[in-house]
Formats: sequence, C-alpha cells, structure tokens
Amino acid sequence: MTAVVVLLGLVVAVLALLVVGMLRSHAEILKRLHQLGAGLDPDNPGQPASPPPTPVTSRQDFQVMPQVPSPPDREEFGGAADLVGVSPGGDEALSVRIQGVEHDTIVAFLSSGCITCQKFWDAFAKPRKLKLPDGTRLVIVTKGVDGESPSSVASLAPAGFPTVMTTQAFTDYDVPGSPYFVYVHGPSGRVRGEGTGPDWEQVSSLLSQATVDAGLATTLSGRQVAKPDADAEREARIDRELFAAGVEPGDTSLYAVDRSPLPEAAGVQDGDHEGHEGHDHP
Amino acid sequence: MKLQSHGIETDLPAGWEGRIGLRTQPSADARAPGEVSAIGDAGERPNPVVHLANFALPEQRGDFGSGAVDLMGADDVLVVLFEYGPECAGTPLFKRTGIPTDLTPNMFSSSALQRTISGQAGCQIFFTENGRAFCSYTVLGRQSNALRVVPQANAALSRTRIAPR
Repeated sequence: MTAVVVLLGLVVAVLALLVVGMLRSHAEILKRLHQLGAGLDPDNPGQPASPPPTPVTSRQDFQVMPQVPSPPDREEFGGAADLVGVSPGGDEALSVRIQGVEHDTIVAFLSSGCITCQKFWDAFAKPRKLKLPDGTRLVIVTKGVDGESPSSVASLAPAGFPTVMTTQAFTDYDVPGSPYFVYVHGPSGRVRGEGTGPDWEQVSSLLSQATVDAGLATTLSGRQVAKPDADAEREARIDRELFAAGVEPGDTSLYAVDRSPLPEAAGVQDGDHEGHEGHDHP
Repeated sequence: MKLQSHGIETDLPAGWEGRIGLRTQPSADARAPGEVSAIGDAGERPNPVVHLANFALPEQRGDFGSGAVDLMGADDVLVVLFEYGPECAGTPLFKRTGIPTDLTPNMFSSSALQRTISGQAGCQIFFTENGRAFCSYTVLGRQSNALRVVPQANAALSRTRIAPR
C-alpha cells in the first residue's frame, strides 16, 4: 500500500513538472513574440493588430490577352475631358462635349494600325447592331495627325459617329493603348467605367456593368410624380446653372445647413428637436 | 473650348460643341455640272461652314443644319455661319459689317426656317467680315423659349472671330 502511494506521488510530481515546463515554454514564446512586435498595432500600442491584408495579385502577375493593352497602373478611374481635334479628313475642326451634357458618352480609343481595332471599326460601321444603351453617344478617338495617317483613319471612320483625331485625349483619359473604351456619365462628367476587350460584344458587356446604375436611376425617375412643364424646366435650368458655376451633383455646398439655433427653437426642450436642425415646423 | 480652322476661330461657351469644316467637293465624274444632289453640285467650290450648338451635333448634317434641327429640344439652339464666295463680299445683300451678336427674340420667325418644324423659329442675317461674305443662320428649338435661349446664341457668336483670307 505504501509503495502504491509513493508511486502515485512520483507520478503526480512528474506530471506537475511537465505542466510547469509547458507553461514556462509557452510564456517564453509569448515573450519572444511580444519582443518581435507581433499581436500589437504599432499605431495603437496595447491594441490588437488588424488581421493581415488579403494577398492581392500584383500587376506584374496579371496577364491579359496579347492583343489588348494591360490595364493602367492606377486604382481609380482616369479623368474625363471634352474632345477637341480634327476630323479624319483633316479639313474640319471639331469639338465634342462630353462633360456637363444630358447624355452619357462611350469614348472609343482606336488606332488605324492595330489588328484588334479592325474588329471595332467593322462593328461601328453597322450602328444598329451595336445595341448602344439608350441616351448614350459613341465617339471614336484616334491619335492626332502626329501619330496617325488622316487618310487611313478616314477610310475606316464610320459615317454615323463622330471621329476625332486628338493625341491630347489619350493623355487626358490616361489611355494605356488601343483599343480602349471609357464610359463617361454626362451630367457629372465623371468616368463610370473603362476597359478593353477583343471585340465589341465583350466591351459592351463590360460597359453594361457601368450603365446598371444609370438604368436604375432612370427607372426610379420614371416612378416620380410628373411635374408641370414650368417646374421641370425651372429645375433643369437651375441644374444647368449650378453645373456651369462648378457645383456638381453631390457637392457638399448643396447640403450645407446653418447649425446656429433658430430664435423660435431656442426654448425647445432637449429631445423634442433631435435630428431636425435647420427646418421649420408647421 | 477653342476651335479653329479655315480662318475662323471660336471659343465655345460651356455646354456647346461645334464644327468648322469644308464640305467634301463632289467628284466631277460622279455627276454632271449643274446637277444638284444631296452632297452638292459637281461644279461648285465648297466654302467653310460653321456649326455651333448647345446639343450633340449629329454627323450627318446639311450646310444649314438639316439633320441637326430634327433632333433639337426645347432649349436647344443651333448657330450656322455659312460662307459665300469672295465675289459676294460687300454686295448689297452682304452690306452689314461684322458678325451679328445682338440677336433679339423678335428677330426670330418660323417663316425664316429653311425647313419648317413645328415650334421652331429661325433668324437669317447676311454680313461681311474682313472681306468674307457670310450668312448667320440661327435656329431655336422652341420659339417660346427665345428669351432664355437667344442670349446663349449671342454669347457663342460674340466669341467667334473671322480672319481675312
């Protein structure tokens, strides 16, 4: 009996030693990790660090089809600008308004030389098959006479769409190469989508993604109560004048309110006016 | 937005676009001289034409805006400057000097339209500028909006310059 008790005591002692050893080892690991800075946000000492970011495929690893240009090295859409240049024949100066107009515009950057562009030139020669979104204008842009042959472009340019030869537009829109397409929302003058593809069907599909919001807005506007003509025209005129003055949709100045307390509201009890600053009550 | 060609220069107001061009001369072998077609006469020598508009100009347009006027909305305005041959400069029809920049609503009439379209109104003025004979032809999308739209046309015209040939 005594031997059994002694044996159990030894087993318990050994197990206790193992537990203590493991605890010390664990403490040592935590201490080393702490010294390495792991588990702490450097900007907020004492706060747990955010999880590591999801790995992103680098642009160097991103491969596109050889016949289309790689995407530009930027995270956001490029800029938009009105187009000024010459016609393919070279004997007409023309300007095409892209920004501050009611319609949206698809700007197609093409070249007379690239093989892939030839598919788009052919497609644009048959406007009815393009199935452009309603209220959308297609404008073709090539480089200017410094980078393109006017006669070559003239032989390719479709009769139904404006074709502008301007190298400046390639810079304004930060175009990585031809063919390339940019979808611009007319009233705001902002780029809503851009990209490229091997043929019009793919590009059209890509751009249709950008028009979903516009289509939804149109649907919603169709459900609004009809206004008298005078009201609608006045509203349209005010919108144009604001835009001409540089106040675009979403401008913060449109939503600025005077936070100073109104004289008649000074005596209102707390809680009676929560979330109702700046407007009158009947 | 500046536009310049054929000795004509314009700085378009916001929301406007324009073309300054020369219609392609019809080939002599295509049609006999004197035979007028939609694209002109084989014997003619085309002169510069300016189209300025506060709406999207279509590619298929006649010299005096046919093809474009069909698309005009109520607040739209089209300004055409059509040059005639040098022999016309200073003649009685073109005795007025300088680009007209002071159009008023009462100068517009539906009877002045090249092609009558309900609600639209036009104004045609002949003038000579720097030895060049022109016709200024302005079309309003809706005559009842003249008070608001005509100043836009005046602004576009006042920003246009014609240099001597």
